[in-house]
Amino acid sequence: MNFKKQFKEGLLTKNPVTVQLLGMCSTLAITTSLFNGIGMGLAVTIILICSNVLISALRNFIPSQIRIAAYITIIAGFVTVVDLFLQAYIPALAESLGVFIPLIVVNCIVLGRAEAFASKNSVLASAVDGLCQGIGYTVALVITCVIRELLGSGTFGGGLLNGGEGIRIIPAQFPAMQMVMPVGGFLVLGFVIAASQWLMKYLEMKSKKKEAAK
Amino acid sequence: MKTESTVKYVLRLALTLLLITAVVAVALAAVNSVTAPKIALLNAQKTQEAIEAVLPGGGEEVAFTDDTGLVATVYQGNAGYAVKVTPTGFNGTVEMMVGIDPSGNVLGISVISQSETAGLGAVSAASTSAGEAFRGQFAGMSGSVSVTKDGGAVDAITGATITSRAVCAGVNAALSCVANMG
Repeated sequence: MNFKKQFKEGLLTKNPVTVQLLGMCSTLAITTSLFNGIGMGLAVTIILICSNVLISALRNFIPSQIRIAAYITIIAGFVTVVDLFLQAYIPALAESLGVFIPLIVVNCIVLGRAEAFASKNSVLASAVDGLCQGIGYTVALVITCVIRELLGSGTFGGGLLNGGEGIRIIPAQFPAMQMVMPVGGFLVLGFVIAASQWLMKYLEMKSKKKEAAK
Repeated sequence: MKTESTVKYVLRLALTLLLITAVVAVALAAVNSVTAPKIALLNAQKTQEAIEAVLPGGGEEVAFTDDTGLVATVYQGNAGYAVKVTPTGFNGTVEMMVGIDPSGNVLGISVISQSETAGLGAVSAASTSAGEAFRGQFAGMSGSVSVTKDGGAVDAITGATITSRAVCAGVNAALSCVANMG
């Protein structure tokens, strides 16, 4: 098991959002304030770790013919638990994310990792995979949130800092409302994906140069 | 697997899935028994706060007649009525409280719960300056309200006309309900 490799994959080279392009619906819909991004990222990370661990533990028990049904049942169970706990203990976040918490059930990241990783690897490796992929998802989400919130609402840290208003950076009359609407989501996500591709190429070139110098 | 009969094979699959769903169901029931009272308490608290936000002094639940099908509950207090209405927004029901004085003017509105788009329709319930400005404009209105796009006086939330229309529909339902009560 290679934690560093898994971490790098989750964060950059196999990032669930920018490379695997999974979970697009929630990514485009909720990335309008920092609070949403962090909350959604944490919720998905927790569910991803739990479902990966359980599915990995049961990987020899679940017959492959019914694995998708079994995985979805397990994932739906964890999502409902998180949803109920959020409603009971962090109602502000539950309200802000609304229907997108229950929709984590059909988020391809969770099922994708169950199918591609947890069903073939040990419990510990699957837990690490859940954590790394979750962090990758959260980071991609937070970056998209910060850009969209800044351009669309002119604030930073909405729902979290400055009593929920966010810290105003651009005066209220200037921000482009379109950026918090769907069109802004597609635009910003495209640029975030492009930036991550550039970063990957850059890092690859750098490591090649290093090898050549050796 | 070759030696396994078809009956056995089907049963194995069905029983495995049954076992998994049963375990998940029991786990969910356990979690629900912990969180349900907490959620119910929060909702009751929110309803109470919503009543007091639109109707100074609060009120008691009273019987009502309603033709719109949107009115859920009516509370009567010294300052007038608080009407809980449930119009349909963009993603689902918008649960809101409308305060109305005895002569039929809106005292104020507050949104109890909604599942509108974050950053757009959800502004209707947000405790931000934009949300407060949107809800605040209803105070003092009477008769029938609608958004400016429909020829009314209510400035819709940018990018959330459907939510704004839903809120107007809720306010109208509350107004006509109170008008019927005389």
